[in-house]
Amino acid sequence: MEIIKNFGINPVLLIAQVINFLILLFLLKKFAYKPVFQMLEKRRKEIADGLKSAEEGKLSLEKALEEEKKILKKAQNQAQQILLDAKSQADQMLLDAKEDTKGQVEQMLKDAHSQLDKESVEMEKRLALNSAKLAVEMLEKSVKDIFSEKEQKEAVERVSKKLKINRN
Amino acid sequence: MAAFSAETILQIGQVPITNSLLDTIIVDALLIWGIFSLRKLSMVPGVFQNIAEYAIDGFYNLTTNITPKHAGKIFPWFMSFFVFIFLSNWSGLIPGFGTIGFYRNGELVPYLRAATSDINTTAGLAILSVFVTQGMGIATVGLKEYVSRYVSWNPINLFVGILEFVGIFTSIISLSFRLFGNIFAGEVLLSTISSMFAFLLPLPFLMLEVIVGFVQALVFSMLTMVAMAIITTPHHESSESEGGEHK
Repeated sequence: MEIIKNFGINPVLLIAQVINFLILLFLLKKFAYKPVFQMLEKRRKEIADGLKSAEEGKLSLEKALEEEKKILKKAQNQAQQILLDAKSQADQMLLDAKEDTKGQVEQMLKDAHSQLDKESVEMEKRLALNSAKLAVEMLEKSVKDIFSEKEQKEAVERVSKKLKINRN
Repeated sequence: MAAFSAETILQIGQVPITNSLLDTIIVDALLIWGIFSLRKLSMVPGVFQNIAEYAIDGFYNLTTNITPKHAGKIFPWFMSFFVFIFLSNWSGLIPGFGTIGFYRNGELVPYLRAATSDINTTAGLAILSVFVTQGMGIATVGLKEYVSRYVSWNPINLFVGILEFVGIFTSIISLSFRLFGNIFAGEVLLSTISSMFAFLLPLPFLMLEVIVGFVQALVFSMLTMVAMAIITTPHHESSESEGGEHK
């Protein structure tokens, strides 16, 4: 037992150390390990939840973006359609207007033509009348010396009748 | 030159207050302060909480790697042994430990000395470790299975069992003396070097002691943890893993 004494083994101290360590163990277990494990678990859960919700958010964002793209495309299509419609409508209107004007012009032309015709007929008529009068006058002047007055009258009357001229 | 045994500073009745016992109290205070500052854990950890969480989680993972089934039971012992031994090993390296003291009969009696450089501490821890290991074995695998580890009708297994039984007591000695020897030798080494030339020369040795302090704490706690893992595993489950207790 000399060696034990040399090393300084003292049962009281030894037991004191054991008890000291047991107390420490208890304290550490209760106030350090347990709460830390709980906190770690809690944080793990929180992170998992956070990641999950982030994933969900990403997914919904993607969906929204896709929706947006779709809507934009649709709007674009619609706009194009409207533009096309408007263009065709404008074309139609232009065409209609052209046609209208054409018709009007034609009508006007036709009117003018008919007016012209009428006038020329009148003119011809007048010309004929004038020439007939002229003829009758020429006849009167030329037959003056040849025929008697009676014959003269008769002849002129006949010619006038033929030429449908109402004398005087 | 440091003495083998811890020096008594005060004598209170039957209890001698030694310098290593004072260091034990300092380490206790440090640990309790640590526990106290861990009392308000926050979701966003501060520096200290981060270190504590890192250490606890790391040690727990190590335990689960070795024994997934009984990790919850073994871990507190593993971690507590480590923390206590580690802090007391490193506390001995603080300037003033082993150097500040008073003279008694012409010899320097330091006020403080690393708790683990006292055989009482290491022996106490080793005895506790071994007894708790055995108790845990009985509680986990049952008395019959536990006894069958040491006693068998098969002569070869009986021989192995006797060796195992002796191993219980040798492991007390090996655990306690390994730790005590390493830390005490470190102190002697440092005081010798310092007495040769006190400036710069002790630095490499001091660094060595820093490593030794960490490694020895890890060795003691790991051996305890592995012994507990082995003893809580029934015979038929442990495939030739016995006897791996000693290094």
